[in-house]
Amino acid sequence: MSTTLHWLTLAAYILGSLISMGFLVHQRQGLYRMGMALLWIGFGLHTLALATAWVEGGVLPATSLRQSLDMFSWALMGAMLVINLRLEVKILGALAGPVCVLLLLAASVLPVMPVVKTAAFRSGWIILHIISIMAGYGLLALTCLGGVLYLGQDRALRAKKMGPLFRRLPSLGRLDSLNQASLLAGFLLMTIGLISGAVYAQMFMGSYWRWDPKEVWALITWLMYAAMLHTRLVQGWRGRRGAWLSVAAFAALVITFLGAGLLANGYHSFSSMAELGGPRP
Amino acid sequence: MKLHLVGLSHKSAPLEVRECLAPPPEALPTALRQCLDLPGVREALMISTCNRVEVLAATEDQVGQDELAAWLCAGRSLAPERIGEHLYRYQGAEAVSHLFRVASSLDSLVVGEPQILGQIKEAYRAATEAGTTRTVLNRLLHKTFQVAKRVRSETNIGGAAVSISFAAVELAKKIFDSLEGLSALVVGAGEMAELAVEHLMAQGVRRVLVANRTLERAMELARGWGGKAVGLGELGAVLGEVDIVIASTGSPQAVITAKMARAAVKARRGRPLFFIDIAVPRDVEHAVGELDGCYLYDIDDLTSVVEANRAGRAVEAAQAEHIVAEEVVKFTAWLAGLEAVPTISALAAKAEEIRTAELARTLKDLSELSPEQAAALDRLTQALAKKLVHDPIMFIKGASHDKSPDTMRQQLALVRRIFNLEENGGE
Repeated sequence: MSTTLHWLTLAAYILGSLISMGFLVHQRQGLYRMGMALLWIGFGLHTLALATAWVEGGVLPATSLRQSLDMFSWALMGAMLVINLRLEVKILGALAGPVCVLLLLAASVLPVMPVVKTAAFRSGWIILHIISIMAGYGLLALTCLGGVLYLGQDRALRAKKMGPLFRRLPSLGRLDSLNQASLLAGFLLMTIGLISGAVYAQMFMGSYWRWDPKEVWALITWLMYAAMLHTRLVQGWRGRRGAWLSVAAFAALVITFLGAGLLANGYHSFSSMAELGGPRP
Repeated sequence: MKLHLVGLSHKSAPLEVRECLAPPPEALPTALRQCLDLPGVREALMISTCNRVEVLAATEDQVGQDELAAWLCAGRSLAPERIGEHLYRYQGAEAVSHLFRVASSLDSLVVGEPQILGQIKEAYRAATEAGTTRTVLNRLLHKTFQVAKRVRSETNIGGAAVSISFAAVELAKKIFDSLEGLSALVVGAGEMAELAVEHLMAQGVRRVLVANRTLERAMELARGWGGKAVGLGELGAVLGEVDIVIASTGSPQAVITAKMARAAVKARRGRPLFFIDIAVPRDVEHAVGELDGCYLYDIDDLTSVVEANRAGRAVEAAQAEHIVAEEVVKFTAWLAGLEAVPTISALAAKAEEIRTAELARTLKDLSELSPEQAAALDRLTQALAKKLVHDPIMFIKGASHDKSPDTMRQQLALVRRIFNLEENGGE
């Protein structure tokens, strides 16, 4: 059941992304609406697929890299769609859409791992930890995307040509709203995720903090976003400097998400997950 | 009814000729009524902008354009012959086409600029208030607004930044997204700066500060825009309060330095500042354009932006011309149909007249008829009359749609002769 839904999701995302990219090229409003509608349908299917997997597996589907990527794709798409309801950064569908497609494709080719079904995985704290961290990642990925677009529009404005890039990229003001909203919400969710993770660790492993590589990187990432928020709100680094920071902080986030989970040998890593029966991502 | 358009524009006449022809706005109603006093002129409208003066009239058939042209040239500071050589004259479909093209901004100095439509709407309003428009011009002008709207929505002619002010607005939109509620600072005064401010205000800019070497002038300008005047010395302080700066002083050295701009961005917590420097020599230090959060466009940058957009507009213009041509055909068909209306109504009236007269006479002879029988007789005669004139009416309607104006006129005359309808039975 969840497999069928997975492929249907992928199909809707691919089609929605292609149409959104068509909008990017031709700038026809009809294409924009159609692309968005498809991505919304895809997101609905995706939610259903994850829920089914949760019910079928008995635990939140985030116990392997395959499932984590799947969830990250879901979080990014959800963050993009919800933020777009308010801010209408129309270009996002064409950019975030393909990223979600790639994430889903990567998830599709990764091996299916046996699902770990311990009581520890059914705790409300771990569920809160994973969902808020994932949603936070999705939002912060948007901050990074917004930062890159900001740098692009900044360049286009300084090039003084009013070329095709200039016309297609959203305005700086709108990108700034996107960056601020996604940064605030993303940071908040990430903070909730870290706290709930620590509480969970205390409950099931006896200590709040264990200097696990993933924990260390998560702390570094969190500090970078905290610094970014501070410089933005207090010093007014919302221009190029803020944009570069969002890219750098997101790089740290990717290391936390993938690097520390795959390469380093802590209890957060996917390979040790089965043995420990411990949490992820 | 015939349509005539006589006038001149930036394409046909130099500025001093256009100037002398343009009536002051308050004299327009009188001028329009005078035009209506010309023999045969039934409806009139006058378009007067800084680039064109045109009079559009719906007239009786026999009236030519010479009277209109003579009226337009009479009593001006220049000799009528000097004006006359710059006039263009159109009639019928050509006049319609010209009006559509003007309203769609295809005939403008800067093709695609949107003000002209507003100016024509204004001219139409003045004419309706003066009471000089009726069926034909009302219909024509409403059609004109539709055509202009169609051209605007179906082609990208207005989408391109068409003049420096528009380029400035377009750029500001790419920085601030919406100009709603923003503040602008004008440093120095000048026609171009004023125009730019007006465009910005039309887009939603709410607050305008004016800085000028002479405070009186600054206050005068600020009053016009409901803004505030500041001294040149306060520039550094007010820079942090505004979003858009338009500089156009005659100062030989820069009045806005990189140091001032940097402090301003800081005071604004990083929200961007947009500098439009239309002064020569420049008013804003070049280094300002490299600061984070500062975007600086000087007059050359704006001009090149406008030039780049000009090329793309040729294609759009061709598409717009196509729309205009299509609409001209539709309107002239309607106008031609209008000519057939008097004949049709005269024919119908004649049939009805004969019917009622004959019916009355018959009923008088048949006095013993019951009311039901009388009513039946009435219905019978109605049906007879209607069926008899139906085919001729269809013939006239067909003639007005398919035939050339001359053929149509001949056929209408023939119908009138066959049915012995008096001339000019309409209106």
